[in-house]
Amino acid sequence: MTYLDYAATYPMPEEVREAMSEAEEKFFANASALHTPGHLALNEIEECREILADLVGANPDEIIFTSGASESNNTVIRTFEGHKIETSPLEHHSILETAKMYRGEKMPKLYSYMLANNETGEFLELPKVDHENSFLHSDLTQALGKIKIDVKELGLDYATFSAHKIGGPIGVGALYIRNGAPFRPLIVGGNQEKKRRGGTYNTVGIIGFKAALLKMRNDESFLRYDHDVRKLRDELARRILAEIPGSSLNTEIAPGKSLPNILNASFEAAEGESIQLYLDAEGVAVSTGSACAAGDIKPSHVLMAKTNDAEVAHSSIRFSFGLENTMEDVQRVMEILPGIVKRLQDISTIKMKGTK
Amino acid sequence: MNEGEDWVYSEKVKDHFLHPRNFLMGDEKKFECDATGIVGNPICGDQMKMFIRVRDDKIVDIAWKTYGCASAIASTSALSELAKGKTLDEALEISAKDIDNYLGNLPKHKFHCSILGHDALKEAINNYRAARKS
Repeated sequence: MTYLDYAATYPMPEEVREAMSEAEEKFFANASALHTPGHLALNEIEECREILADLVGANPDEIIFTSGASESNNTVIRTFEGHKIETSPLEHHSILETAKMYRGEKMPKLYSYMLANNETGEFLELPKVDHENSFLHSDLTQALGKIKIDVKELGLDYATFSAHKIGGPIGVGALYIRNGAPFRPLIVGGNQEKKRRGGTYNTVGIIGFKAALLKMRNDESFLRYDHDVRKLRDELARRILAEIPGSSLNTEIAPGKSLPNILNASFEAAEGESIQLYLDAEGVAVSTGSACAAGDIKPSHVLMAKTNDAEVAHSSIRFSFGLENTMEDVQRVMEILPGIVKRLQDISTIKMKGTK
Repeated sequence: MNEGEDWVYSEKVKDHFLHPRNFLMGDEKKFECDATGIVGNPICGDQMKMFIRVRDDKIVDIAWKTYGCASAIASTSALSELAKGKTLDEALEISAKDIDNYLGNLPKHKFHCSILGHDALKEAINNYRAARKS
């Protein structure tokens, strides 16, 4: 199989699977318990906290573990319940829908802007805040591991992280809360995380997160993304434009404009879900911004906000690379994609521009 | 090829998607037809056009074009199989439910947005009859 859907979930590397299965045996105890097995489990959790903090330029006590990015995002928005909340239109639904539900008129105001978008990979400009009348949250789910991150340099009060986008398990995330920034726990009823997030520690999951972070650090993943993965992404972009009539890019691929591992492209007159499923039938996994794929009636809000063209959004495909991909994967896609698109264009009711 | 138990669609849908019947490739003029009907809108993500050839009040041949998702392609393909050889009155009776039954049921959220072809077929039949009257 050719897997090009890393931005959806990063398949778990062997090191992570091994660390987790070892943890099931060795660190089974409740990490809040005072006995030795409990301590051993808690030590592992604290190590993960230190590693993540070190990687993103935070203090360990500014990191809490959550069940994933959606919980982290909800926690920040709910902290500002009844307050002014401004988000970019490109945010994940766990920001957009929560903000819609809970925003009000009170100050201080929260800004929530992701650093890099999950569908196009493009960077957003973060607003400046004064940390008194205004605070800044950024969803760093896609950025973690792909580029160097420093939460202090970015001027953040809050930041969201997810384990399964870097090879860790699904169901584990983290939230950076700057010391001194307002905070209200979402899950109440427990002394865990210094009363900032109730619930028994997910020791095995957090150990998996730790293994993924260590691998990321040891592999110097952001250098490899910048050098190796960028080459693959850019080559795919070049070949799509050169070899597929009616294709266009929804990702600006110039350095500094987008994450090096995501390419979003649209194919005139060919619908995204059909392209995705024809690719799937040939063993190539990608995703689409077409409405149909998500069981939604509207196409991707991200591509709509960017292009304001529903046909472009319906006809879009996201290719997202990981460290395991090679140029052979690009070659494989380009062996079959032009034919798939051509066939869909040939049976399409939409006439290609420049044809009869 | 992925032999697809893990597909979200039934085997029949998958078959009609991967091997659609009666589709019209490229230039529409390649298919000699007596009437056409079109339904849907690319903005909504699905559009179907039906082309029919009629002799003695019967659909003797049929072709289609679709811009849309897998279930749109499969349902239009299925409709073309259902309609071929039917009299115009019989073809007018084909409903979305008939197409859905023929395909072994599409995922629920797909039903309304992707089974539209029968409306295009109705329009084609009505266009055919209107042209004959005038």
